[in-house]
Amino acid sequence: MNPYLAGVLLGLVVLSANLISGRGLGASGAVKSAIVATVDVVAPAHTESSEYYEMALGTHGNPLNNWLVYQVLGVLVGAFLSGVLARRLKWKVEHSPKITSKTRLMFALAGGVLFGFGSQLGRGCTSGAALSGMAVFSLGGFITMAAIFGTAFALAYFFRKLWI
Amino acid sequence: MKKFQFTPRQMLSVVILSLGIIIAAVPKDTTTPYKLSADQILEEMKSGTQYLYPDLIAQMLVEGDPTLQLIDVRPPAEYEKYHLPGAINIPFDELLSSDYQYLLNQDVMMNVLYANGTTRANEAWMLIRQLGYDNNYVLTGGLNYWVETILNPQAPATSSPDDEFARYDFRKAASGALGGGAVAPVEQGSTAPAAIPRPRPQQKKQAVQGGCS
Amino acid sequence: MAPFVVYDIISENTNLLMAFFIGIGFGFILEQAGFSSSRKLAGVFYGYDAVVLKVFFTAAIVGMLGLLFFSLFGWVDMSVIYVNETYLYSAIVGGVIMGAGFIMGGYCPGTSFCAATIGKIDAIVFIGGMFLGVFIFGEGYPLWKNLYMAEFMGFPKISEFFGINEGIFVLLVIVAAVLMFWGAEWAEKKFPREEY
Repeated sequence: MNPYLAGVLLGLVVLSANLISGRGLGASGAVKSAIVATVDVVAPAHTESSEYYEMALGTHGNPLNNWLVYQVLGVLVGAFLSGVLARRLKWKVEHSPKITSKTRLMFALAGGVLFGFGSQLGRGCTSGAALSGMAVFSLGGFITMAAIFGTAFALAYFFRKLWI
Repeated sequence: MKKFQFTPRQMLSVVILSLGIIIAAVPKDTTTPYKLSADQILEEMKSGTQYLYPDLIAQMLVEGDPTLQLIDVRPPAEYEKYHLPGAINIPFDELLSSDYQYLLNQDVMMNVLYANGTTRANEAWMLIRQLGYDNNYVLTGGLNYWVETILNPQAPATSSPDDEFARYDFRKAASGALGGGAVAPVEQGSTAPAAIPRPRPQQKKQAVQGGCS
Repeated sequence: MAPFVVYDIISENTNLLMAFFIGIGFGFILEQAGFSSSRKLAGVFYGYDAVVLKVFFTAAIVGMLGLLFFSLFGWVDMSVIYVNETYLYSAIVGGVIMGAGFIMGGYCPGTSFCAATIGKIDAIVFIGGMFLGVFIFGEGYPLWKNLYMAEFMGFPKISEFFGINEGIFVLLVIVAAVLMFWGAEWAEKKFPREEY
Protein backbone atom coordinates (compact mmCIF):
# COMPACT_ATOMS: atom_id res chain seq x y z
CA MET A 1 0.00 0.00 0.00
CA ASN A 2 1.25 3.48 -0.75
CA PRO A 3 2.67 4.88 2.50
CA TYR A 4 0.78 8.16 2.21
CA LEU A 5 -2.51 6.34 1.70
CA ALA A 6 -1.66 4.12 4.67
CA GLY A 7 -0.90 7.26 6.67
CA VAL A 8 -4.24 8.82 5.81
CA LEU A 9 -6.07 5.62 6.74
CA LEU A 10 -4.11 5.29 9.98
CA GLY A 11 -4.95 8.91 10.77
CA LEU A 12 -8.63 8.08 10.26
CA VAL A 13 -8.27 5.17 12.68
CA VAL A 14 -6.74 7.50 15.28
CA LEU A 15 -9.53 9.97 14.62
CA SER A 16 -12.27 7.37 15.03
CA ALA A 17 -10.71 6.15 18.28
CA ASN A 18 -10.98 9.70 19.54
CA LEU A 19 -14.50 10.20 18.23
CA ILE A 20 -15.83 6.90 19.52
CA SER A 21 -13.90 6.43 22.73
CA GLY A 22 -12.39 9.85 23.36
CA ARG A 23 -8.88 8.45 23.50
CA GLY A 24 -6.00 7.44 21.28
CA LEU A 25 -4.48 4.14 20.26
CA GLY A 26 -1.89 2.20 22.20
CA ALA A 27 0.11 -0.95 22.42
CA SER A 28 2.46 -1.00 25.39
CA GLY A 29 -0.41 -0.35 27.80
CA ALA A 30 -1.78 -3.79 27.00
CA VAL A 31 1.59 -5.37 27.82
CA LYS A 32 1.46 -3.65 31.17
CA SER A 33 -2.07 -4.92 31.79
CA ALA A 34 -0.94 -8.44 30.98
CA ILE A 35 2.07 -8.18 33.30
CA VAL A 36 -0.01 -6.74 36.12
CA ALA A 37 -2.67 -9.42 35.70
CA THR A 38 -0.06 -12.18 35.65
CA VAL A 39 1.77 -10.93 38.71
CA ASP A 40 -1.54 -10.53 40.48
CA VAL A 41 -2.42 -14.16 39.82
CA VAL A 42 1.02 -15.58 40.61
CA ALA A 43 1.80 -13.49 43.66
CA PRO A 44 -1.19 -11.49 44.89
CA ALA A 45 0.61 -10.49 48.07
CA HIS A 46 3.40 -9.02 46.00
CA THR A 47 1.08 -6.79 43.95
CA GLU A 48 -0.44 -5.49 47.15
CA SER A 49 2.90 -4.51 48.57
CA SER A 50 4.22 -2.93 45.38
CA GLU A 51 3.19 0.64 44.85
CA TYR A 52 3.39 0.35 41.09
CA TYR A 53 1.17 -2.71 40.69
CA GLU A 54 -1.18 -1.29 43.27
CA MET A 55 -1.50 1.85 41.19
CA ALA A 56 -2.10 -0.11 38.01
CA LEU A 57 -4.69 -2.36 39.62
CA GLY A 58 -6.41 0.30 41.67
CA THR A 59 -8.50 2.01 39.03
CA HIS A 60 -10.32 -0.88 37.45
CA GLY A 61 -11.25 -4.36 38.58
CA ASN A 62 -9.73 -6.82 36.17
CA PRO A 63 -6.67 -5.33 34.46
CA LEU A 64 -7.37 -7.36 31.36
CA ASN A 65 -10.86 -5.92 30.93
CA ASN A 66 -9.34 -2.85 29.48
CA TRP A 67 -9.83 -0.81 26.31
CA LEU A 68 -6.23 -1.20 25.21
CA VAL A 69 -6.23 -4.95 25.72
CA TYR A 70 -9.22 -5.35 23.39
CA GLN A 71 -7.64 -2.96 20.95
CA VAL A 72 -4.39 -4.95 20.85
CA LEU A 73 -6.36 -8.18 20.32
CA GLY A 74 -7.87 -6.39 17.34
CA VAL A 75 -4.39 -5.45 16.12
CA LEU A 76 -3.38 -9.10 16.15
CA VAL A 77 -6.48 -10.07 14.15
CA GLY A 78 -6.15 -7.16 11.71
CA ALA A 79 -2.47 -7.72 11.04
CA PHE A 80 -3.04 -11.43 10.54
CA LEU A 81 -5.84 -10.75 8.05
CA SER A 82 -3.62 -8.36 6.15
CA GLY A 83 -0.78 -10.89 6.17
CA VAL A 84 -3.12 -13.56 4.77
CA LEU A 85 -4.39 -11.24 2.03
CA ALA A 86 -0.87 -10.17 1.08
CA ARG A 87 0.39 -13.78 1.31
CA ARG A 88 3.10 -12.78 3.74
CA LEU A 89 2.63 -15.51 6.35
CA LYS A 90 6.00 -17.16 6.83
CA TRP A 91 8.19 -18.12 9.78
CA LYS A 92 11.24 -15.98 9.36
CA VAL A 93 13.99 -14.13 11.20
CA GLU A 94 14.58 -10.95 9.33
CA HIS A 95 18.09 -9.54 9.42
CA SER A 96 20.85 -7.98 7.39
CA PRO A 97 22.95 -10.54 5.48
CA LYS A 98 25.94 -9.34 7.47
CA ILE A 99 24.76 -10.78 10.78
CA THR A 100 23.53 -14.17 11.95
CA SER A 101 20.00 -14.92 13.07
CA LYS A 102 21.32 -15.43 16.58
CA THR A 103 22.76 -11.91 16.72
CA ARG A 104 19.52 -10.52 15.37
CA LEU A 105 17.47 -12.31 18.01
CA MET A 106 19.75 -11.15 20.81
CA PHE A 107 19.40 -7.55 19.70
CA ALA A 108 15.65 -7.99 19.27
CA LEU A 109 15.46 -9.16 22.88
CA ALA A 110 17.59 -6.27 24.12
CA GLY A 111 15.56 -3.82 22.06
CA GLY A 112 12.35 -5.27 23.45
CA VAL A 113 13.55 -4.93 27.03
CA LEU A 114 14.55 -1.30 26.43
CA PHE A 115 11.30 -0.51 24.64
CA GLY A 116 9.22 -2.15 27.33
CA PHE A 117 11.03 -0.27 30.06
CA GLY A 118 11.03 3.03 28.18
CA SER A 119 7.35 2.82 27.35
CA GLN A 120 6.53 2.57 31.05
CA LEU A 121 8.79 5.44 31.98
CA GLY A 122 7.54 7.56 29.09
CA ARG A 123 3.88 6.63 29.74
CA GLY A 124 3.29 5.19 26.31
CA CYS A 125 5.03 3.99 23.20
CA THR A 126 5.22 5.21 19.63
CA SER A 127 1.49 4.61 19.18
CA GLY A 128 0.16 5.61 22.59
CA ALA A 129 2.33 8.57 23.49
CA ALA A 130 3.82 9.78 20.23
CA LEU A 131 1.20 9.20 17.51
CA SER A 132 -1.98 9.53 19.56
CA GLY A 133 -0.46 12.25 21.71
CA MET A 134 0.44 14.29 18.66
CA ALA A 135 -3.05 13.91 17.20
CA VAL A 136 -4.52 15.59 20.29
CA PHE A 137 -1.75 18.20 20.48
CA SER A 138 -0.26 16.81 23.69
CA LEU A 139 3.02 18.51 24.55
CA GLY A 140 4.31 15.27 26.03
CA GLY A 141 3.43 13.42 22.82
CA PHE A 142 5.61 15.70 20.76
CA ILE A 143 8.46 15.51 23.27
CA THR A 144 8.35 11.71 23.37
CA MET A 145 8.18 11.53 19.57
CA ALA A 146 11.23 13.78 19.22
CA ALA A 147 13.13 11.80 21.86
CA ILE A 148 12.38 8.42 20.25
CA PHE A 149 13.24 9.36 16.69
CA GLY A 150 16.10 11.67 17.69
CA THR A 151 17.80 8.95 19.74
CA ALA A 152 17.26 6.28 17.11
CA PHE A 153 18.75 8.59 14.51
CA ALA A 154 21.70 9.47 16.72
CA LEU A 155 22.46 5.79 17.42
CA ALA A 156 21.77 4.57 13.89
CA TYR A 157 25.42 4.74 12.90
CA PHE A 158 26.51 2.36 15.67
CA PHE A 159 23.96 -0.28 14.81
CA ARG A 160 24.16 -0.03 11.02
CA LYS A 161 25.47 -3.59 10.67
CA LEU A 162 22.17 -4.90 11.99
CA TRP A 163 20.23 -3.44 9.12
CA ILE A 164 22.29 -2.59 6.06
CA MET B 1 3.56 15.91 -24.78
CA LYS B 2 3.68 13.94 -21.56
CA LYS B 3 0.64 14.44 -19.43
CA PHE B 4 1.54 15.94 -16.08
CA GLN B 5 0.69 13.69 -13.22
CA PHE B 6 0.84 14.20 -9.48
CA THR B 7 2.86 11.74 -7.45
CA PRO B 8 1.12 10.54 -4.25
CA ARG B 9 3.42 12.78 -2.25
CA GLN B 10 2.51 15.88 -4.24
CA MET B 11 -1.16 15.04 -4.07
CA LEU B 12 -1.06 14.57 -0.30
CA SER B 13 1.03 17.71 0.15
CA VAL B 14 -1.46 19.83 -1.78
CA VAL B 15 -4.45 18.46 0.12
CA ILE B 16 -3.02 18.77 3.62
CA LEU B 17 -1.52 22.18 2.92
CA SER B 18 -4.87 23.55 1.76
CA LEU B 19 -6.72 22.04 4.70
CA GLY B 20 -4.03 23.39 7.01
CA ILE B 21 -4.38 26.88 5.60
CA ILE B 22 -8.16 26.74 6.03
CA ILE B 23 -7.98 25.58 9.63
CA ALA B 24 -5.24 28.10 10.44
CA ALA B 25 -7.40 30.89 9.05
CA VAL B 26 -10.36 30.03 11.27
CA PRO B 27 -10.30 32.18 14.39
CA LYS B 28 -9.67 30.11 17.49
CA ASP B 29 -12.80 31.17 19.34
CA THR B 30 -15.10 29.42 16.92
CA THR B 31 -13.23 26.16 17.12
CA THR B 32 -12.94 25.60 20.84
CA PRO B 33 -15.88 26.55 23.03
CA TYR B 34 -18.72 24.15 23.18
CA LYS B 35 -22.01 26.01 23.17
CA LEU B 36 -25.47 24.81 23.98
CA SER B 37 -28.12 24.61 21.31
CA ALA B 38 -31.52 26.28 21.69
CA ASP B 39 -33.06 22.83 22.25
CA GLN B 40 -30.78 22.07 25.14
CA ILE B 41 -31.48 25.43 26.79
CA LEU B 42 -35.21 24.95 26.38
CA GLU B 43 -34.90 21.51 27.96
CA GLU B 44 -33.09 22.97 30.97
CA MET B 45 -35.55 25.82 31.30
CA LYS B 46 -38.44 23.39 31.28
CA SER B 47 -36.88 21.41 34.09
CA GLY B 48 -36.20 24.64 36.02
CA THR B 49 -33.10 23.30 37.74
CA GLN B 50 -31.50 26.72 37.70
CA TYR B 51 -33.91 28.12 40.31
CA LEU B 52 -32.83 28.20 43.93
CA TYR B 53 -35.12 29.21 46.78
CA PRO B 54 -34.22 32.01 49.18
CA ASP B 55 -34.16 29.62 52.15
CA LEU B 56 -31.29 27.69 50.67
CA ILE B 57 -29.31 30.82 49.94
CA ALA B 58 -30.05 32.17 53.42
CA GLN B 59 -28.85 28.95 54.96
CA MET B 60 -25.66 29.00 52.92
CA LEU B 61 -25.07 32.63 53.90
CA VAL B 62 -25.60 31.90 57.57
CA GLU B 63 -23.31 28.91 57.41
CA GLY B 64 -20.76 30.97 55.51
CA ASP B 65 -20.56 28.42 52.69
CA PRO B 66 -17.40 29.35 50.81
CA THR B 67 -18.68 28.04 47.47
CA LEU B 68 -21.56 30.50 47.31
CA GLN B 69 -21.04 33.50 45.05
CA LEU B 70 -23.96 35.90 44.85
CA ILE B 71 -24.02 38.02 41.73
CA ASP B 72 -26.17 41.15 41.57
CA VAL B 73 -27.12 41.84 37.94
CA ARG B 74 -28.87 45.14 38.66
CA PRO B 75 -27.35 48.51 37.69
CA PRO B 76 -24.52 49.72 39.96
CA ALA B 77 -26.66 52.48 41.52
CA GLU B 78 -29.18 49.96 42.83
CA TYR B 79 -26.39 47.68 43.95
CA GLU B 80 -24.85 50.53 45.95
CA LYS B 81 -28.15 51.20 47.67
CA TYR B 82 -28.67 47.64 48.85
CA HIS B 83 -27.28 44.24 48.06
CA LEU B 84 -27.13 40.86 49.67
CA PRO B 85 -24.14 40.20 51.92
CA GLY B 86 -21.07 39.19 49.93
CA ALA B 87 -22.71 39.83 46.57
CA ILE B 88 -20.68 41.22 43.71
CA ASN B 89 -22.10 43.44 41.02
CA ILE B 90 -22.10 42.40 37.38
CA PRO B 91 -24.58 44.79 35.73
CA PHE B 92 -26.75 43.11 33.13
CA ASP B 93 -25.53 45.49 30.42
CA GLU B 94 -21.97 44.32 30.96
CA LEU B 95 -22.69 40.66 31.31
CA LEU B 96 -20.70 39.68 28.25
CA SER B 97 -17.81 42.02 28.94
CA SER B 98 -14.57 40.07 29.02
CA ASP B 99 -13.78 41.44 32.50
CA TYR B 100 -16.36 39.19 34.09
CA GLN B 101 -16.02 35.98 32.12
CA TYR B 102 -13.62 34.41 34.60
CA LEU B 103 -16.27 34.82 37.30
CA LEU B 104 -19.09 33.39 35.23
CA ASN B 105 -17.22 30.60 33.45
CA GLN B 106 -15.63 28.54 36.20
CA ASP B 107 -15.95 25.21 37.98
CA VAL B 108 -15.34 26.13 41.59
CA MET B 109 -18.10 28.41 42.85
CA MET B 110 -21.83 28.17 42.80
CA ASN B 111 -22.91 31.43 41.22
CA VAL B 112 -26.36 32.68 42.15
CA LEU B 113 -27.65 35.50 39.98
CA TYR B 114 -30.30 37.83 41.34
CA ALA B 115 -32.16 41.01 40.44
CA ASN B 116 -35.25 42.63 41.90
CA GLY B 117 -37.53 39.99 40.43
CA THR B 118 -36.84 36.68 38.76
CA THR B 119 -36.95 37.76 35.13
CA ARG B 120 -33.79 39.81 34.75
CA ALA B 121 -31.61 37.27 36.53
CA ASN B 122 -33.11 34.49 34.51
CA GLU B 123 -32.38 36.34 31.27
CA ALA B 124 -28.80 36.69 32.37
CA TRP B 125 -28.68 33.00 33.21
CA MET B 126 -30.01 32.08 29.76
CA LEU B 127 -27.34 34.14 28.06
CA ILE B 128 -24.41 32.69 29.91
CA ARG B 129 -25.85 29.19 29.86
CA GLN B 130 -25.95 29.45 26.09
CA LEU B 131 -22.21 30.05 26.17
CA GLY B 132 -21.91 26.71 27.93
CA TYR B 133 -21.03 28.10 31.35
CA ASP B 134 -21.84 25.79 34.22
CA ASN B 135 -22.58 26.30 37.91
CA ASN B 136 -24.79 29.35 37.48
CA TYR B 137 -28.17 29.60 39.21
CA VAL B 138 -31.01 32.06 39.68
CA LEU B 139 -32.45 33.30 42.96
CA THR B 140 -36.17 32.64 42.69
CA GLY B 141 -38.28 35.73 43.16
CA GLY B 142 -35.27 37.99 43.40
CA LEU B 143 -34.79 40.58 46.11
CA ASN B 144 -38.53 41.23 46.42
CA TYR B 145 -39.26 37.67 47.44
CA TRP B 146 -36.12 37.64 49.58
CA VAL B 147 -37.42 40.57 51.64
CA GLU B 148 -40.82 38.98 51.89
CA THR B 149 -39.64 35.54 52.99
CA ILE B 150 -36.31 35.94 54.71
CA LEU B 151 -36.18 39.44 56.09
CA ASN B 152 -39.85 39.77 57.08
CA PRO B 153 -41.17 36.26 57.45
CA GLN B 154 -44.85 35.84 58.23
CA ALA B 155 -45.72 33.52 61.05
CA PRO B 156 -47.68 30.58 59.66
CA ALA B 157 -51.22 29.93 60.79
CA THR B 158 -51.48 27.77 63.90
CA SER B 159 -53.03 24.98 61.88
CA SER B 160 -49.98 24.73 59.56
CA PRO B 161 -47.88 21.61 59.48
CA ASP B 162 -44.75 21.43 61.62
CA ASP B 163 -42.28 22.01 58.87
CA GLU B 164 -43.94 25.36 58.16
CA PHE B 165 -43.05 26.37 61.70
CA ALA B 166 -39.57 25.01 61.37
CA ARG B 167 -39.08 27.03 58.23
CA TYR B 168 -40.48 30.10 59.94
CA ASP B 169 -38.09 29.69 62.87
CA PHE B 170 -35.21 29.34 60.49
CA ARG B 171 -36.22 32.39 58.51
CA LYS B 172 -36.62 34.37 61.68
CA ALA B 173 -33.12 33.42 62.78
CA ALA B 174 -31.64 33.99 59.34
CA SER B 175 -33.37 37.33 59.18
CA GLY B 176 -31.59 38.35 62.36
CA ALA B 177 -28.26 37.19 61.10
CA LEU B 178 -28.71 38.82 57.72
CA GLY B 179 -29.94 42.18 58.95
CA GLY B 180 -33.70 41.82 58.64
CA GLY B 181 -36.50 43.50 60.61
CA ALA B 182 -37.29 42.66 64.20
CA VAL B 183 -34.72 40.34 65.69
CA ALA B 184 -36.36 37.62 67.66
CA PRO B 185 -34.13 35.39 69.76
CA VAL B 186 -34.37 31.79 68.75
CA GLU B 187 -35.89 29.74 71.50
CA GLN B 188 -33.64 27.06 72.76
CA GLY B 189 -34.89 23.61 71.98
CA SER B 190 -36.98 24.69 69.06
CA THR B 191 -36.92 22.38 66.10
CA ALA B 192 -33.83 22.75 63.99
CA PRO B 193 -34.38 24.25 60.56
CA ALA B 194 -35.49 21.58 58.20
CA ALA B 195 -32.58 20.51 56.07
CA ILE B 196 -33.09 21.95 52.66
CA PRO B 197 -31.99 19.81 49.78
CA ARG B 198 -29.02 21.42 48.15
CA PRO B 199 -28.57 21.16 44.44
CA ARG B 200 -25.31 19.63 43.43
CA PRO B 201 -23.35 21.78 41.04
CA GLN B 202 -23.79 20.26 37.61
CA GLN B 203 -21.06 17.79 36.90
CA LYS B 204 -19.17 18.48 33.75
CA LYS B 205 -18.86 15.56 31.40
CA GLN B 206 -16.01 13.52 32.73
CA ALA B 207 -13.00 13.45 30.44
CA VAL B 208 -11.92 10.04 29.27
CA GLN B 209 -9.10 8.30 31.07
CA GLY B 210 -6.80 7.32 28.28
CA GLY B 211 -3.13 7.04 27.67
CA CYS B 212 -0.97 4.02 27.23
CA SER B 213 0.99 3.91 30.47
CA MET C 1 -21.88 14.67 19.63
CA ALA C 2 -18.63 12.76 19.84
CA PRO C 3 -16.90 11.19 21.71
CA PHE C 4 -19.75 8.69 21.70
CA VAL C 5 -18.88 6.94 24.94
CA VAL C 6 -18.85 10.18 26.94
CA TYR C 7 -22.19 11.29 25.52
CA ASP C 8 -23.74 7.90 26.28
CA ILE C 9 -24.36 7.16 22.61
CA ILE C 10 -22.64 3.83 23.13
CA SER C 11 -22.29 1.89 26.37
CA GLU C 12 -19.08 0.95 28.13
CA ASN C 13 -19.25 -2.58 26.78
CA THR C 14 -19.89 -1.43 23.23
CA ASN C 15 -16.89 0.82 23.70
CA LEU C 16 -14.72 -2.21 24.43
CA LEU C 17 -16.12 -3.95 21.37
CA MET C 18 -15.34 -0.86 19.30
CA ALA C 19 -11.80 -0.98 20.70
CA PHE C 20 -11.49 -4.42 19.14
CA PHE C 21 -12.66 -3.15 15.73
CA ILE C 22 -10.44 -0.08 15.94
CA GLY C 23 -7.58 -2.43 16.71
CA ILE C 24 -8.38 -4.49 13.61
CA GLY C 25 -8.15 -1.37 11.49
CA PHE C 26 -4.95 -0.35 13.25
CA GLY C 27 -3.27 -3.72 12.78
CA PHE C 28 -4.46 -4.13 9.21
CA ILE C 29 -3.12 -0.76 8.11
CA LEU C 30 0.20 -1.17 9.93
CA GLU C 31 0.73 -4.51 8.23
CA GLN C 32 -0.38 -3.23 4.83
CA ALA C 33 2.01 -0.30 5.14
CA GLY C 34 4.82 -2.81 5.55
CA PHE C 35 5.41 -2.17 9.25
CA SER C 36 5.75 -5.88 9.87
CA SER C 37 9.28 -5.75 8.48
CA SER C 38 11.99 -4.58 10.86
CA ARG C 39 14.40 -3.76 8.05
CA LYS C 40 11.79 -1.57 6.41
CA LEU C 41 11.13 0.18 9.73
CA ALA C 42 14.82 0.72 10.42
CA GLY C 43 15.22 2.05 6.88
CA VAL C 44 14.07 5.49 7.94
CA PHE C 45 17.22 5.91 10.03
CA TYR C 46 19.51 5.12 7.10
CA GLY C 47 17.53 6.89 4.42
CA TYR C 48 16.81 3.87 2.26
CA ASP C 49 13.16 3.56 3.18
CA ALA C 50 11.21 6.38 4.82
CA VAL C 51 7.88 4.60 5.10
CA VAL C 52 7.80 5.13 8.89
CA LEU C 53 8.22 8.86 8.53
CA LYS C 54 5.60 9.09 5.80
CA VAL C 55 2.96 6.99 7.54
CA PHE C 56 3.60 8.41 10.99
CA PHE C 57 3.44 12.08 10.10
CA THR C 58 0.59 11.70 7.62
CA ALA C 59 -1.43 9.89 10.29
CA ALA C 60 -0.69 12.46 13.00
CA ILE C 61 -1.64 15.30 10.66
CA VAL C 62 -4.86 13.63 9.53
CA GLY C 63 -5.73 13.04 13.19
CA MET C 64 -5.06 16.66 14.13
CA LEU C 65 -6.89 18.10 11.12
CA GLY C 66 -9.81 15.75 11.65
CA LEU C 67 -10.26 16.72 15.28
CA LEU C 68 -10.01 20.44 14.52
CA PHE C 69 -12.51 20.27 11.66
CA PHE C 70 -14.93 18.11 13.61
CA SER C 71 -14.65 20.51 16.51
CA LEU C 72 -15.23 23.43 14.14
CA PHE C 73 -18.46 21.85 12.92
CA GLY C 74 -19.48 21.20 16.52
CA TRP C 75 -19.39 17.42 16.12
CA VAL C 76 -16.89 16.68 18.83
CA ASP C 77 -16.40 18.03 22.33
CA MET C 78 -12.66 18.52 22.45
CA SER C 79 -12.76 19.34 26.15
CA VAL C 80 -13.40 15.72 27.16
CA ILE C 81 -10.99 14.02 24.79
CA TYR C 82 -8.01 12.61 26.60
CA VAL C 83 -4.86 14.67 26.14
CA ASN C 84 -1.82 12.70 27.21
CA GLU C 85 -0.25 13.98 30.39
CA THR C 86 3.20 15.55 30.35
CA TYR C 87 5.85 14.61 32.86
CA LEU C 88 8.80 16.38 31.27
CA TYR C 89 11.75 14.31 32.43
CA SER C 90 10.21 10.89 32.12
CA ALA C 91 8.91 11.77 28.65
CA ILE C 92 12.44 12.65 27.53
CA VAL C 93 14.29 9.82 29.28
CA GLY C 94 11.61 7.29 28.37
CA GLY C 95 11.74 8.47 24.77
CA VAL C 96 15.53 8.16 24.67
CA ILE C 97 15.38 4.61 26.02
CA MET C 98 12.65 3.73 23.53
CA GLY C 99 14.73 5.23 20.71
CA ALA C 100 17.63 2.97 21.66
CA GLY C 101 15.27 0.02 21.81
CA PHE C 102 13.89 0.95 18.41
CA ILE C 103 17.25 0.97 16.62
CA MET C 104 18.39 -2.23 18.35
CA GLY C 105 15.17 -4.19 18.15
CA GLY C 106 13.84 -2.80 14.90
CA TYR C 107 10.25 -2.67 16.12
CA CYS C 108 8.03 -0.62 18.33
CA PRO C 109 5.33 -2.35 20.41
CA GLY C 110 2.51 -1.95 17.90
CA THR C 111 4.53 -3.05 14.90
CA SER C 112 6.04 -6.00 16.80
CA PHE C 113 2.52 -7.35 17.40
CA CYS C 114 1.81 -7.06 13.68
CA ALA C 115 5.05 -8.72 12.70
CA ALA C 116 4.58 -11.54 15.19
CA THR C 117 1.19 -12.48 13.74
CA ILE C 118 2.69 -13.05 10.30
CA GLY C 119 5.45 -15.23 11.66
CA LYS C 120 8.45 -12.97 12.29
CA ILE C 121 10.42 -14.79 14.98
CA ASP C 122 12.48 -11.70 15.80
CA ALA C 123 9.22 -9.89 16.58
CA ILE C 124 8.13 -12.65 18.94
CA VAL C 125 11.47 -12.37 20.74
CA PHE C 126 11.06 -8.59 20.82
CA ILE C 127 7.64 -8.98 22.46
CA GLY C 128 9.21 -11.32 25.01
CA GLY C 129 11.80 -8.67 25.73
CA MET C 130 9.08 -6.06 26.06
CA PHE C 131 7.27 -8.10 28.70
CA LEU C 132 10.57 -8.45 30.52
CA GLY C 133 11.20 -4.70 30.29
CA VAL C 134 7.77 -3.82 31.69
CA PHE C 135 8.26 -6.38 34.45
CA ILE C 136 11.66 -4.89 35.35
CA PHE C 137 10.08 -1.45 35.47
CA GLY C 138 7.33 -2.68 37.78
CA GLU C 139 9.68 -4.57 40.08
CA GLY C 140 12.22 -1.77 40.40
CA TYR C 141 9.60 0.99 40.53
CA PRO C 142 10.84 2.57 43.80
CA LEU C 143 14.23 3.12 42.14
CA TRP C 144 12.87 5.32 39.34
CA LYS C 145 9.75 6.60 40.99
CA ASN C 146 11.23 10.07 41.47
CA LEU C 147 12.16 10.35 37.81
CA TYR C 148 8.78 8.93 36.79
CA MET C 149 6.90 11.55 38.77
CA ALA C 150 9.22 14.53 38.29
CA GLU C 151 8.21 17.79 36.57
CA PHE C 152 4.51 17.11 36.14
CA MET C 153 3.14 19.76 33.82
CA GLY C 154 -0.49 18.70 33.73
CA PHE C 155 -2.14 18.00 30.41
CA PRO C 156 -0.77 20.83 28.29
CA LYS C 157 -1.36 21.17 24.59
CA ILE C 158 1.69 22.05 22.58
CA SER C 159 -0.17 24.90 20.90
CA GLU C 160 -0.98 26.42 24.31
CA PHE C 161 2.60 25.92 25.36
CA PHE C 162 3.80 28.03 22.46
CA GLY C 163 0.86 30.39 22.83
CA ILE C 164 -0.45 29.93 19.30
CA ASN C 165 -3.71 28.88 17.74
CA GLU C 166 -4.07 25.12 17.18
CA GLY C 167 -4.87 25.71 13.51
CA ILE C 168 -1.67 27.65 12.95
CA PHE C 169 0.28 24.99 14.78
CA VAL C 170 -1.12 22.29 12.48
CA LEU C 171 -0.16 24.35 9.46
CA LEU C 172 3.42 24.57 10.76
CA VAL C 173 3.51 20.79 11.28
CA ILE C 174 2.13 20.29 7.77
CA VAL C 175 4.76 22.55 6.21
CA ALA C 176 7.48 20.70 8.13
CA ALA C 177 6.05 17.34 7.07
CA VAL C 178 5.81 18.31 3.40
CA LEU C 179 9.48 19.34 3.47
CA MET C 180 10.42 16.10 5.27
CA PHE C 181 8.50 13.97 2.75
CA TRP C 182 10.31 15.73 -0.04
CA GLY C 183 13.67 15.17 1.65
CA ALA C 184 12.82 11.56 2.41
CA GLU C 185 12.01 10.72 -1.20
CA TRP C 186 15.24 12.37 -2.22
CA ALA C 187 17.12 10.20 0.31
CA GLU C 188 15.38 7.05 -0.89
CA LYS C 189 16.73 7.72 -4.37
CA LYS C 190 20.17 8.55 -3.05
CA PHE C 191 20.60 5.53 -0.76
CA PRO C 192 18.74 2.80 -2.60
CA ARG C 193 18.70 -0.79 -1.33
CA GLU C 194 17.76 -3.88 -3.16
CA GLU C 195 14.65 -5.69 -1.99
CA TYR C 196 15.13 -7.14 1.46
